[in-house]
Amino acid sequence: MTLFIQQLFNGLALGGVYCLAAIGLTLVFGVLRIPNLAHGALYMLGAYITYFFLTTLGVPYIAAIGIAALLLFVVGVGLERLVFHPLRNSPHTHHMIAAVGAMFFFQALAQAIWGADFRRMKTPITGGLDILGAEISAQRIVIIVTAVIVLALLAWFIKRSIHGQTIEAIEQDRIGASLVGISPSMVSMLTLGLSALLATVAAGLVAPINLLSPTMGDALNLKVFAIIILGGLGSLPGAIVGGFALALAETMTATYISSAVGEAVAFIVLVAVLAIKPTGLFTKAVQR
Amino acid sequence: MNALKNPRLLGTFAVVVLIGAAPAVFAGENYAMRVITVGMCAAIAVYGLNIILGFTGQLSLAQGGFFGIGAYGVGLLTTDYDWSFWSAFFVSVIGTAVIGYLCGLIALRTKDEYFAIFTMAIGFIIFLVISRWEAVTHAHSGVNNVKFPEGAGIVDFSSPIAMFYLVFLVLLICIYITHAIRRSSVGRTLLTIRTSEDLADAIGVRVGFSKQLAFAASAVFGGIGGGLYATVVGFIGPDAASIDKTFEFLMFILVGGMGTVAGPLLGSMIVTFLFELFQDFQAYRFIVLGPIIVALVIFAPRGIIGYLGEFIDRRNRRRRLAGMRRSPKETGPDGRSAAPTAETMTESGAGTTSEETK
Amino acid sequence: MNSVPRSRRHRLLASAAIGTLALSMAACGGGGSGDGDTVVIGYTGPLSGGGAAYGENVQIGLEMAIDDLNADGVEVDGEPVTLELKSLDDKYAPSTAASNAQRLADQDKAPVVVSPNAGAIKAIQQINSGRSNFLISAYTSDPAIVQSDNPLTMMIPPNFESYAAEFTETAMKHGGKKLALLGTQSEYGQQWTESITDAWKDAGGKIGGDNSVDYATVSDFAGPVSKALAEKPDAIFVGGPSQPTALIMEEARKQGFEGSFLVMDQAKLDEMATVTKLDNLKNSVGVLPVSEYEDPGTADFLKKYADKAGDKKVPTSETALNYQGIAIIAKAMEVSGSVDDPEKIRAAISDALPEVDDKYKVNGFPEEITEQGHLLNPNLEATYLDDEGKYTKVPIEQVSDNK
Repeated sequence: MTLFIQQLFNGLALGGVYCLAAIGLTLVFGVLRIPNLAHGALYMLGAYITYFFLTTLGVPYIAAIGIAALLLFVVGVGLERLVFHPLRNSPHTHHMIAAVGAMFFFQALAQAIWGADFRRMKTPITGGLDILGAEISAQRIVIIVTAVIVLALLAWFIKRSIHGQTIEAIEQDRIGASLVGISPSMVSMLTLGLSALLATVAAGLVAPINLLSPTMGDALNLKVFAIIILGGLGSLPGAIVGGFALALAETMTATYISSAVGEAVAFIVLVAVLAIKPTGLFTKAVQR
Repeated sequence: MNALKNPRLLGTFAVVVLIGAAPAVFAGENYAMRVITVGMCAAIAVYGLNIILGFTGQLSLAQGGFFGIGAYGVGLLTTDYDWSFWSAFFVSVIGTAVIGYLCGLIALRTKDEYFAIFTMAIGFIIFLVISRWEAVTHAHSGVNNVKFPEGAGIVDFSSPIAMFYLVFLVLLICIYITHAIRRSSVGRTLLTIRTSEDLADAIGVRVGFSKQLAFAASAVFGGIGGGLYATVVGFIGPDAASIDKTFEFLMFILVGGMGTVAGPLLGSMIVTFLFELFQDFQAYRFIVLGPIIVALVIFAPRGIIGYLGEFIDRRNRRRRLAGMRRSPKETGPDGRSAAPTAETMTESGAGTTSEETK
Repeated sequence: MNSVPRSRRHRLLASAAIGTLALSMAACGGGGSGDGDTVVIGYTGPLSGGGAAYGENVQIGLEMAIDDLNADGVEVDGEPVTLELKSLDDKYAPSTAASNAQRLADQDKAPVVVSPNAGAIKAIQQINSGRSNFLISAYTSDPAIVQSDNPLTMMIPPNFESYAAEFTETAMKHGGKKLALLGTQSEYGQQWTESITDAWKDAGGKIGGDNSVDYATVSDFAGPVSKALAEKPDAIFVGGPSQPTALIMEEARKQGFEGSFLVMDQAKLDEMATVTKLDNLKNSVGVLPVSEYEDPGTADFLKKYADKAGDKKVPTSETALNYQGIAIIAKAMEVSGSVDDPEKIRAAISDALPEVDDKYKVNGFPEEITEQGHLLNPNLEATYLDDEGKYTKVPIEQVSDNK
């Protein structure tokens, strides 16, 4: 039982990270209709920049994440302008390869700046909680709580604020939205920036319990894709449900079956779900 | 139309002849021979990708996985089970076809991006099975001393030149098949599906079945490429099935030109050499290569062959226009046939020029 | 339609593409610096991607050795020789490594190619003795690479199978009979897990399920650690790259584990101490840190390393053993009187070993080379890090390389 509770919290924390990373990706998909394979690289870059401000410059933890998130917003916008905007009329094959090129570039850049060595990010949040005999570290509680807050803020932003509503409008009907004066180009920039920002928050939260390396985004990349496709491309609730479901499935199968199955479970679930429902769990009306 | 007068076919011949003559130039250079031969193995798999992606318009990201199945089939059967290369190769290719067909049954229920990421998941599961199922695949220890093909006392395939020509021959067959498919009713069926599935369905094309066949065929090409790769390099590890391989293939086809006959070969060779060229930068090569890849995709969306095709189209049109000005009576309906049938298929929207729509 | 600028742009790009092609082809044919007095030592290793840190550690050792050797002067057959390192990146992919090795041998006429990964070495062994001839300086503790009887392989580190019995005994003495397996899921990790499993069972211990996870892809180690601890083990087998291994041990201590650790030789205790508190690492058995060696050249080596890589980096055996390895090869060239015949160089290693200058003896210098090409140091030692944070040496009896 203790093990179960322990793993439940571990799974929830992992789910929070997956969600934050997946939501940005699914937003980008909803608006730009591209699978951004460079997302994991943005996550990695976010972690390193947080690390830079926290460790090298001594900025407090929360502020470091905030500054890094804003910087990554700019990187995201730049990526949209330089790479995806020129490709806006191309088929998604081109985006994928361009994104792979961008990913190679970011990884090599991080290695050139920070070296190939693993880096450790120290967090001011220490200690832990004892919940029914299970020892849960405070950092994991912070991850879960922050994920919930950020997701709530994001939901508010998209549903209530003007800028956020333009995102939803473009997702629903690109031509209609342009007719009423929404610039798809601005919204694309906003969305990619936002996705990079969310990835940075995820990275800043998870970095203290793991290590930084130029390839840290790779493992996350594939899983996040599994999540958004499982939830239904472009669907926010889908990404949230998918994120937590896959994280829990992963932790629990690794615990009760085997670690090898745990690693593969995300993809097995994905194949199973799509075999039954080829458009994911929460499908949005897809515009052509 | 006379093949020799068709500049595109001529181009394909030129590339083929150039590569076919490579051993004469690089006879002593084991390194160059190796890079070209391995590049040709990849090119075969890329021709498979060409059928499903270039002709049919479905982005399959499982090609690296099928390549891995072919490689491991040959690798494991010739070592652990001591089969001859040829029987192992034959069985592996059949095996890839069956697995490809079965995967297609589920995968092709999905569409567009779902299909792409679904096949990526299939590819990744294949990789996980190969890298984790130690009892059968030796996982990360890999498969060592894969047999050379048996030459029946006539050819000694341990010679890099013999191996080169074996792969080259198979590659030629694959190119011919691609060419034949392009010309056949099957090819036109696939192109119709690429243009519009709904339209294809409406005019009585068996969309599901055709896609299924195209997917299985692409898997077979992947298996053939992988099987040859295993015997060429002699040692294979799980990286032969990794997702990186898939993206490599995708890069090859994109640089060469999707849906064209010569594109996959040209793309494979150029990108392979580009990567080797930048080796001198060691860890930093991707700082340069990354932006090059992005730039290629943005500025040459239809690949090198697409480029040349466009160039020829333009030249022909200019000539025709000039001819029209001189003697307006001679053209009329024949004016159309002067422009070659769109040999290089353009991606919808990606820089489609007015030539095709006139 | 904006046809004029478009076509101009197109022509420009087309010529750029053709230029690239021409360059690529040139790159393939060119090269070749078989200069009489310069000898290229080839190196193919992971310099980008997940294994880059490891590849760089090896590279530093090679660079240091070549700098020192050139400063001292190498003389072969009466002629002074300058050594030069040429490194290529293989991203840990065996077939790329083999292509790189072929290139180094063909174009740079390298008589020796260094590779630090068992898979890559197996792939290179397919081509290094036959049409091409070059010696592989093999940095892997997997004995499979000498079992293949490749005549031109020099295996540098000790066989990892030697450690299992002694590790088991030490861990049982300080912990208990129940072991949990939590190594990494790599080629090497899997082999270690197997080897430890056998030794532990032979010693009458009990083993839970295999909890191995891929250290490189796990986002949070808490899950796997909780699972391993649920077996209530007295000892845990861990190991992969140093830093993630340190995190796993830290997490285990945090979750209340008090038993001992068996640390795979890939992870180095002193390097681990750079990412976690030494307290978390106590009560563990692992390989001896380079700084604990008492070879004649160790102290100087540590100083030079600090100058080159900075104080923050800890020198590991990857660096130190490859440093020694190049010195051995250079001496073998001198003894054999040849810089381009790998067979002669290989044959001379045995005679060269006692001749190597003391300054290059830094990390358990070998005294002999087996027929199969394995460098052996008869006094192999591991270490036990006790509750006081002190390293105690543990002598290791080496097993045969043959299966």
